[in-house]
Amino acid sequence: MSLVAGVDIGNSTTEVCIGRIEGGDIRFLSSATHATTGIKGTVDNIPGIVSALEEAMGKVRLSTSDLEYIRLNESAPVIGDTAMETITETIITDSSMIGHNPSTPAGVGTAVGYTIHIENLSKMVADRPYILVVGKEYGYEKVAEVVNSLGGYIKIVGLILQADEAVLVWNRLDKKIPIVDEVLRIDKIPDEKMAAIEVAMSGQVIRQLSNPYGIATLLGLNAEETRLVTPIAKSLIGKKSAVVIKTLHGYIAENVLPAGELYLKGEDGKEYAVNVDAGAEKIMALSNVAGRLSDVQGQKNTNVGNMFDRMKDSMSRLTGETKESIHITDVLAIDTLAPVQIAGALAGETCMEKAVGIAAMVKTQQLPMRKIAEELQRQLNVDVAVAGVEAAMALLGACTTPGTRLPLAIIDMGGGSTDAAMMDDAGNMRMTHKAGAGELVTLLIQTELGLKDRNEAELLKKYPLAKVESLYHMRLESGEMQFFAESIDPRYYGCVVMLAPDRMIRVEEDIPMERIVEVRRDAKRKVFVKNVVRALQEVAENGDLKRIPNVVLVGGSAEDFEVPEMLTESLSQYRIVCGRGNIRATEGPRNAVATGLVMSGTSAKR
Amino acid sequence: MAGEKAVKYNEQVIEEVVAQVIKEVMKQRGVEQTTQGKKEDYSDAKVATKGTDPKEVVIGVGPAFQTQIHRTINGLDLGQVLDEVKAGIEEEGMHPRVVKILKTSDVCFMGLEAAKLSGSGIGIGIQSKGTTVIHQKDLYPLSNLELFPQAPLMSLETYRKVGKNSAKYVKGERVTPITVENDPMTRPKYQVKAALMHIKETECLDEKIPYIEWNA
Repeated sequence: MSLVAGVDIGNSTTEVCIGRIEGGDIRFLSSATHATTGIKGTVDNIPGIVSALEEAMGKVRLSTSDLEYIRLNESAPVIGDTAMETITETIITDSSMIGHNPSTPAGVGTAVGYTIHIENLSKMVADRPYILVVGKEYGYEKVAEVVNSLGGYIKIVGLILQADEAVLVWNRLDKKIPIVDEVLRIDKIPDEKMAAIEVAMSGQVIRQLSNPYGIATLLGLNAEETRLVTPIAKSLIGKKSAVVIKTLHGYIAENVLPAGELYLKGEDGKEYAVNVDAGAEKIMALSNVAGRLSDVQGQKNTNVGNMFDRMKDSMSRLTGETKESIHITDVLAIDTLAPVQIAGALAGETCMEKAVGIAAMVKTQQLPMRKIAEELQRQLNVDVAVAGVEAAMALLGACTTPGTRLPLAIIDMGGGSTDAAMMDDAGNMRMTHKAGAGELVTLLIQTELGLKDRNEAELLKKYPLAKVESLYHMRLESGEMQFFAESIDPRYYGCVVMLAPDRMIRVEEDIPMERIVEVRRDAKRKVFVKNVVRALQEVAENGDLKRIPNVVLVGGSAEDFEVPEMLTESLSQYRIVCGRGNIRATEGPRNAVATGLVMSGTSAKR
Repeated sequence: MAGEKAVKYNEQVIEEVVAQVIKEVMKQRGVEQTTQGKKEDYSDAKVATKGTDPKEVVIGVGPAFQTQIHRTINGLDLGQVLDEVKAGIEEEGMHPRVVKILKTSDVCFMGLEAAKLSGSGIGIGIQSKGTTVIHQKDLYPLSNLELFPQAPLMSLETYRKVGKNSAKYVKGERVTPITVENDPMTRPKYQVKAALMHIKETECLDEKIPYIEWNA
């Protein structure tokens, strides 16, 4: 009879499992989880290991000195990193448009007229329609008075205001006209230029100015000019109000930034080049052609070159290896859109620019687990062994999930990489590590929503959302209503909140809940579903997914509130039974490796 | 011993200074009192009723508002203050209504009374010295949606934003946080003036009429 502890040091949590081995039988006594102290694979991990062990032993009223031996995981020697690069940029020249979402424009409809600043009133001529441009130094009462008094002789068909007073002015006008407000740089609007103004009905978006032919109709453009205004129409899609000004050369251009080329080196020595502008799909297709990679490089002095340089820098810092010896063995590229402020904009307009998110993975030397084992042995005075490859141990542990049988595959979705391992009936094992996992999802969420804070994106990934609609009820993202007897803290009123287990967290940006949910789901699907299929194809016999009957999800990301369901759904088309693991029928997807370490202890003992 | 003496001395000085200040202010007030210090008679005024318009935001002003007191603690004209708050509400597409609260001079209770009269359940309380609160009818009096406790640091722009935010609460929209200045010297600098203005407002309470419509 002997007491054995399995210890699994992960990037974020350290998990232990305690088992009693009698003859060939194992009885699992307890388990515990503690946050990993320090960076995974360094001796700083020891305090976390010790606390976790003490907690687990304490549950069965034993102390760590009662242990006969401890088995540590030999973690996968891969680390991953992510980066993002925008590949297009939009520039407005000659102030040719205004298109933003002021919270309260006023007056519904479209109008065409000549722009004129309020200071140049005297230059106006009768029988000509004007769009009046007013600075914020003129109050709403004054503006309304001026427009009303001109009404008799000069036609004012639209208003562009710098201040946020559209509704106030509109309420005081004798003749109602469309008004766009909150335009910061009215000084850049030229006088005496033909312009079209449009304000959408509340709850709707503009129709005319987001349509090239709509602009052509209003401003009387020929076919060639219409072709040139297409980018303007495109960038006005989804706006609540807009102004398009007809200037000679002033158009808006979408530039493709020279992102640079990516060089994929196959293990067979062949090199494949692809331009990042081509997008993620081309990059991934080429990566498929190249097969197993020996390294990936970016073109020198280009955006992508610098991006890979930075990645290799940070990885070499982490592993203590020289930058030259860092080889990228897998990349995952994903197309995305990032809201970027348009250069030359009058009202702080943003445009969704194309971007490519890239996750890369690097094989490193073995992490210094040996050192941790020695130090732990010294501190606890218990035999410590580094035993078993992580993936194999996770497989063993995953087998304790009720309802599984060999052949079995496991998927471990972590922060940096998605790992898969597969064991067939004969006990042969194959495993693989793919770049891109939780951190890439976080980066995609951050980019697409234009968040400043990475931490907020991380939280948005983890928790479901709700919109606090009154002090006593909120609408969950599922559409359900939840009511409260006590009032919700007024700080959350009207906000989108994240529902963490013990509290609500306010989303600081003003983004509709539906949009966040869409972006979050899309990012998870793009990364996890794609990577799981990629990984399973590599471990499956002949790359045939249908030969895998069971897939068990283990690790932290398996606890995500929607990823397992997404995978179950998308893998069902290959007739794969896929689901969140339930280690030892009690632990859920956690503790697989620690459990596997204890289980492998019996055979080691024998 | 020496310490005790010093304390006594300080207290004496403070008492003297306060007495001086009060005397000074009373003197000023004395002049005012002849023209407008009298307690108003509201027996003919229209008692405010609960609104039914779901777009309504009720602004509840203090008992001395625009009658005994015409400027906030930092000299803003109360008429302008009211106009800005109303403009903020109007710009967001909601409807302002002003009532004068006569049963209390506490800003939180004023705000709550206004909220209870409001068709939307959102109300604003403004003391004559400028302290402002946004309230909701179902909240506890001392809880609130937004409180602007440092009246001396309020500007007309801030009052416009207060109006805008109150309207956004009606619409269930996310409010824009209002940047409020914070000056630790405000308290000592304005404490006496604030106390006097509050006393004056409290003197104007009316036990018989809780609130009236106010269209000054």
